Amino acid sequence: MIRTNWRDHDWQLIHTAPQSPTLHMALDDVLTHEVGAGRRAPTLRIWEWASPAVVIGRFQSLRNEVDGEAARRHGIEVVRRVSGGGAMFIEPGNTITYSIYAPQTLVKGLSFQEAYAFLDAWVLEALAELGIKAWYQPLNDITSEGGKIAGAAQVHRGGAVLHHVTMAYDIDAAKMLEVLRIGREKLSDKGTQSAAKRVDPLRSQTGLPREAVIGRMVATFRRLHGLSDDSLRADELAQAATLAQTKFSSPAWIDDVT
Amino acid sequence: MHGEYKMPGGKLVVIDLEVRDGRLADVQLSGDFFLEPDSTLATINRTLEGQPEHADEAALAVVVRDALAADVMMYGISPEAIAVAVHRALQQESAA
Repeated sequence: MIRTNWRDHDWQLIHTAPQSPTLHMALDDVLTHEVGAGRRAPTLRIWEWASPAVVIGRFQSLRNEVDGEAARRHGIEVVRRVSGGGAMFIEPGNTITYSIYAPQTLVKGLSFQEAYAFLDAWVLEALAELGIKAWYQPLNDITSEGGKIAGAAQVHRGGAVLHHVTMAYDIDAAKMLEVLRIGREKLSDKGTQSAAKRVDPLRSQTGLPREAVIGRMVATFRRLHGLSDDSLRADELAQAATLAQTKFSSPAWIDDVT
Repeated sequence: MHGEYKMPGGKLVVIDLEVRDGRLADVQLSGDFFLEPDSTLATINRTLEGQPEHADEAALAVVVRDALAADVMMYGISPEAIAVAVHRALQQESAA
């Protein structure tokens, strides 16, 4: 297997109307599989959220990470994604989330640390064009002088790598801290007292509407790597809708770390 | 019993377990680390199950490492970090 470059691939963009949290989980599963099987060209998907959610990582304990009562009180759905990493607090309009579905050849021979930075180099460039000096903070964060901007996670499956990232555009830190249990141990080597202070969202850093930030990111990706506008195939959407209603809605998947 | 360890330069490693007849039981590893294939989580839980409660950290780390298949990928977690979290879970109980 020879390592490939971005320009060796015919990148596709998917950016649709808002979708439910469980459907987003399922689409990541299905599209990674499709790219790995060679039925879909490598793809960048920009997410739009239909409703608020907490997205926990593949190996996180629901009980340890989420205050279920607070989540219910605020009408926040809890879902579990296919990749490792930490919990994300999502409110529509407050985050910018995207997935990259790439053949594993694109990161062939790279260390994990290098692969994370490599797959987000275009984002750092887009942020620089918006006047934000940002860099990769190993293992899996994008950060700036003001604080953390984004968290990334990767998973490798059947010849494909899924790399997805949630960026803070705006944040209701008080609500986030009600819903997420962020332990002292987790913050022990971050050098800060407050989880809220660790995040510096894009809205305050750019002064731009969320759509303008997304527009800049897409334009930068297109310029650097090439990008054609695409949409979900009917069979991809049907498969994801089924998985969203079964696996990704099931207590066995959401509640248990297995 | 519950133990947490933030691996330096890594992620949070959490162990929940019980002790029955001097041995680890109902061992559950969790955290915000990266581990592939994801079935490795169950392998690690199973491997720790039944280990003596007084096993030292180094011994537990070796037991975990030996149970991992050659293709396992760990990022932000290690056998040593898991052993520290187990030890902390056990210590917390004896201190209580």
